[in-house]
Amino acid sequence: MATIPLAVHFDGDFVLKLLPADSEHTMDELAAAAAENSVGIHVPDQPGRTLRVRRQGDAQPFERASTVAAAGLGPTECVEVYFE
Amino acid sequence: MALLDRAQWYDIARDTRWTPRYVTEAELFPPELSGGEGLPDEVWATYDEPYKVSYREYVDIQRQKDAGAYSVKAALERADLYNKADPGWISILKEHYAAVALVEYGASFQESRFVRWSKAPGMRNMATFGMLDEIRHGQIQLYFPHEYVNKDRQFEWSHAAMFTDNWVTLGARHFFDDVMMTRDAVSTSIFANFSFETGFTNLQFIGLSGDAAKAGDFTFSKLIQSIQSDEARHAQLGTPLLQMLIENGQKDVAQKKIDIAFWRSYRLFTILSGIPMDYYVPLDVREASFKEFMEEWIVTQFMRSLEDLGLSKPWYWDIFLRDISEHHHGQHLGTYSWRPTLWWDPAAGVSPEERDWLEEKYPGWNGTFGKVWDVLIDNFANDRPEKTVPGTLPIICNVSQLPIVGTPSQTLRDISLVHEGRRYHFASEVDKWIFEDDPERYRHHKNLVDRFLGGEIQPADLGGVLEYMGLGSVGPGGDDAHGFAWVDTYRKQLVKAG
Repeated sequence: MATIPLAVHFDGDFVLKLLPADSEHTMDELAAAAAENSVGIHVPDQPGRTLRVRRQGDAQPFERASTVAAAGLGPTECVEVYFE
Repeated sequence: MALLDRAQWYDIARDTRWTPRYVTEAELFPPELSGGEGLPDEVWATYDEPYKVSYREYVDIQRQKDAGAYSVKAALERADLYNKADPGWISILKEHYAAVALVEYGASFQESRFVRWSKAPGMRNMATFGMLDEIRHGQIQLYFPHEYVNKDRQFEWSHAAMFTDNWVTLGARHFFDDVMMTRDAVSTSIFANFSFETGFTNLQFIGLSGDAAKAGDFTFSKLIQSIQSDEARHAQLGTPLLQMLIENGQKDVAQKKIDIAFWRSYRLFTILSGIPMDYYVPLDVREASFKEFMEEWIVTQFMRSLEDLGLSKPWYWDIFLRDISEHHHGQHLGTYSWRPTLWWDPAAGVSPEERDWLEEKYPGWNGTFGKVWDVLIDNFANDRPEKTVPGTLPIICNVSQLPIVGTPSQTLRDISLVHEGRRYHFASEVDKWIFEDDPERYRHHKNLVDRFLGGEIQPADLGGVLEYMGLGSVGPGGDDAHGFAWVDTYRKQLVKAG
């Protein structure tokens, strides 16, 4: 278990935000942590929709159960979080 | 005894060409401090300043300027304009003085470096006046806010800001150290005097001077007019050097210096001018939008001065033209959201009437930045203030040192590169280009997030960040300028909607 700081681009937000992520967190847990800094703060909630995470620029999101460590994300690398 | 006409003696007094006997030319003018490598020795004597003035004339004119500004200040103190001014205007004063006053003192060192290191005698003479200008600007912009310290402790930042590690200060210091303090005389005059002063101080000083007069703050209006009249003179220091570079086959060198300085200046002024002009200036006295000011002072006038020299628009001109419609809106949302990290109280500037004005000036604003404000307003109107300040930090650009912002769902993205094992982030392709052009110049600087992640800020939370930046110890951090009175309209709408 280690902390990996990430840059998060939450879709609909106006600014990239710092997120100290846990290397063992799943992508669903990562998305939930990112949402705490944006949903209801700068981005409206979209109840009933699922949050997904992808590396910035990728077409496909990470598997929801895969971990931050398994994704090979480096310190302050940028991920996009969006409602599917 | 009759005085000689200035033209009869000016060249003799100015052209102090030294012939070193005890040191070499390179020891007298070290290349890393003097600059201008590749220019033939004989061209330095051809430097000819466009504004000619004698010391006697200079002192007389400056005395009159000071007398004018100080007498207006003294007369208006009795009118108590401060207590009658809109709080948004007071915030502009706090932001301006803290960001500018000590930097003016720094600029006097910049000019004194020209006086000593420039190889052009005419420039050394002209820079002497510039040096005196900047000392005056530092003094007057510390003296004027001093009377406000007993009204509001946030005015203490006027003197203290540049000695702190506040994130805005980090950005401003990084910029001014880059363009003003750490380059040779030729480069500095093109970076600071030509690119920064010719273009952007016009924007800050003339643009805001008009708004100040309309807002009833004739003291500030007179002050910055007085300063601008100096800037208009010494901003010309770089122009003859540009001509010398171009005539001696260094047009590309000149163009690149301008391209770097122009973008860096623009980015800083999105905070210093962009936010106040579009959000803080009371709507009923607002003269023009930031974009309109930019189009007048930068797009038209500055570009004309480039074309007159035979230079081109910066390579990123299309990026720049798009950016003046969006970047400062993101920075305003950022500064307002993280308002406890500011030394001034930001005005939200998003009442229904103000939003109509923003939509008219920036078509599409309501559908992008306005949507973010909708969330903020919903929290304010429903008494959830704790949800209006994020619990984390923004990612900060390693060149501009400002948060990386963009139009929601359109242009926001991270631009980064890994250099010698460290990942650097940039707010635009232009910032990345500046870094890549000279990574040694920029790679060691740590922005606020770098310091946070490196463990320099303890405790590692928002409270630790505020303390690190001097909030609370120098003066209190920011909160809404109008005490959230503007939210009442939205509360009434909620009640009406049932």
